[in-house]
Amino acid sequence: MGKKELKVAFLLALRSLQRGSRSSVVLTVLIIAMCFTNMVFLPGLFNGIGEGIITQIVDYEVGNVMVGAKTGEQYVTDLDATLDLINSMPGVERATPHISKGATLKYRQRILGVSVKAIKPGDEKYVSPLYSKMVAGSYLGEDDTGEVIIGKPVAGDATIKQEDEFQPSLGGVRVGDSITIEYGNGYTKDYRVKGIYFTGWTSTDNNVFITWSDMEQVEGKTLDYAEYITVKAKPGYDEKFIKNELQQYGVTGYVQTTGDLLKKAMGSVMQSFAIINMVSLVVGVIITTVVLFIVITIKTINSRRQIGILKAIGVDKEVIMHTYGLQVVIMALLGICFGIILTAILAVYLAANPIVTPEWKAYLLLTPGDYITNSLILFLAAVVAGYVPAWQVSREDIQSAMRA
Amino acid sequence: MIEITDLRRIYHMGNVEVKALDGVTLTIGKGEFLGIMGASGSGKTTLLHMVGLLDQPTSGRIMIDGLDILGLTDYEKTMFRLYKLGYVFQDYALVPDLTVMENVSLPAMLRKDRTEAQVKKDSYSILEKIGLCDRRDHLPRELSGGQQQRVSIARAMVNKPDILFADEPCANLDSENSRMVLDLFHEINEEMQQTIIMVSHEDWHKEYFHRIVRLRDGKIFSDGTNGAHHH
Repeated sequence: MGKKELKVAFLLALRSLQRGSRSSVVLTVLIIAMCFTNMVFLPGLFNGIGEGIITQIVDYEVGNVMVGAKTGEQYVTDLDATLDLINSMPGVERATPHISKGATLKYRQRILGVSVKAIKPGDEKYVSPLYSKMVAGSYLGEDDTGEVIIGKPVAGDATIKQEDEFQPSLGGVRVGDSITIEYGNGYTKDYRVKGIYFTGWTSTDNNVFITWSDMEQVEGKTLDYAEYITVKAKPGYDEKFIKNELQQYGVTGYVQTTGDLLKKAMGSVMQSFAIINMVSLVVGVIITTVVLFIVITIKTINSRRQIGILKAIGVDKEVIMHTYGLQVVIMALLGICFGIILTAILAVYLAANPIVTPEWKAYLLLTPGDYITNSLILFLAAVVAGYVPAWQVSREDIQSAMRA
Repeated sequence: MIEITDLRRIYHMGNVEVKALDGVTLTIGKGEFLGIMGASGSGKTTLLHMVGLLDQPTSGRIMIDGLDILGLTDYEKTMFRLYKLGYVFQDYALVPDLTVMENVSLPAMLRKDRTEAQVKKDSYSILEKIGLCDRRDHLPRELSGGQQQRVSIARAMVNKPDILFADEPCANLDSENSRMVLDLFHEINEEMQQTIIMVSHEDWHKEYFHRIVRLRDGKIFSDGTNGAHHH
């Protein structure tokens, strides 16, 4: 088909859209846009949830790489040397140790069982944004003793009755208050609450943090061991690269990347998300294809006589087929553009107002790749749905078409 | 020159065989204004559609300027209609979403031997001839029946076809508009030596025809020059 034929087909298509039934065009474009939104929204939301969870796990749980105790051992030993070794490696921003101990918190009449974590506040700042999540008071200092920071859910709210609480708390601890911590080994000490934080990551918010030196007092000895070390990678460095380096340089311990850990922890969740995404995509594509097929079939059936006339005056069947096919192409492009705008607005809105649950925060994570892939899938579905009835009607003989 | 030999068209309606054309043999010379007349169901439109390549006969032969047009492929027939033939239909058959100018230009736009400028010039000049230049940006629904039929004639003539087919072009028009249309056909025939084959069942139209072929039951009942044609 030549340029002239294509030009005529485009003119006929454009005029039909411009001067034909406007409501039908607007509705069809809207349906395509809604299908696009449907195809993009759910996977985008799942990606957002996944990405949010991953970010929080990296920030508050494991960093980019986690060094745990070797199989059969309880701790990572020779801590100072191990930390020095890890921190000296290229690509490592900072490594920081963690050790935790079960304890009972006491505040006025309230008693609460929690996990008390010891950190090195200075190093922790490089690995976790916990220091920036203080809602009252301030973060721990490197040499603080007798001071503690606690999660907002642990601190509780004095205005809420104990029986009305979502989870047990200390009933409204404020910065400067003194709380008693009774450790599993029998060591008991009063701590001043230096700060209250809220990260949105439940397991961290239910913790209490003390300094490494305070934990040494609890244990009654210098701690040259840790339960695990979290390692933050410098920007641009791959987790696997750091894991390989740590293993090559003989870091004692079980080295795992965030990816390794997530595969274990969230593999089946991600697989379920992928299945839901696929079902949503297939349903969206089928709906669009069927709707466009019906729209174009009705349009061609209503225009059979006109198609017969066009053929009679010397318009080739290819031109006629493209006339209807191009109408779908134009409507599909408009629908996809509208869908992109709509989902972009939703993404901006959800970025500002994420869906918050006690476990995670969700926003719409849409990459250019998602837009391109879904646009292409929808476009191809639309072209097939439009061209099939157009092809069928363009092959009808002139007499039958003109008699319609 | 059109040579039609033993043309037959048989329709099957259930078990009944209907002979719409039953052995029509006819020669039409260049520049003739031929009227095909006859009662309803006599085969006038069927004959027009066969010669105009809008339908396929059951048997017979049609030669136009020495070319056996029934042997052409589908695409060749389309191109033959585009380059050599023009059509005017009873119900005007304009594309409702195109303006008058766009309707007239449409067949010319598809011709490979016409530039865009030529298409515009030809369309404009033919609209001027039919007196609808000032209506060129209007849509067909904004015109009267007579005006629409004149646009349809302009569309048929824009490619300067060898043969112009008109299938009861005045059937939906009042007598004043009918006369206007027939005068236009006459003018085209006289000025451009245009071959015109027109189907009609209105007796008074015969005054415009050079020659009248009358059909009855799919056969030629009479064929004669019309000495009484009015111009």
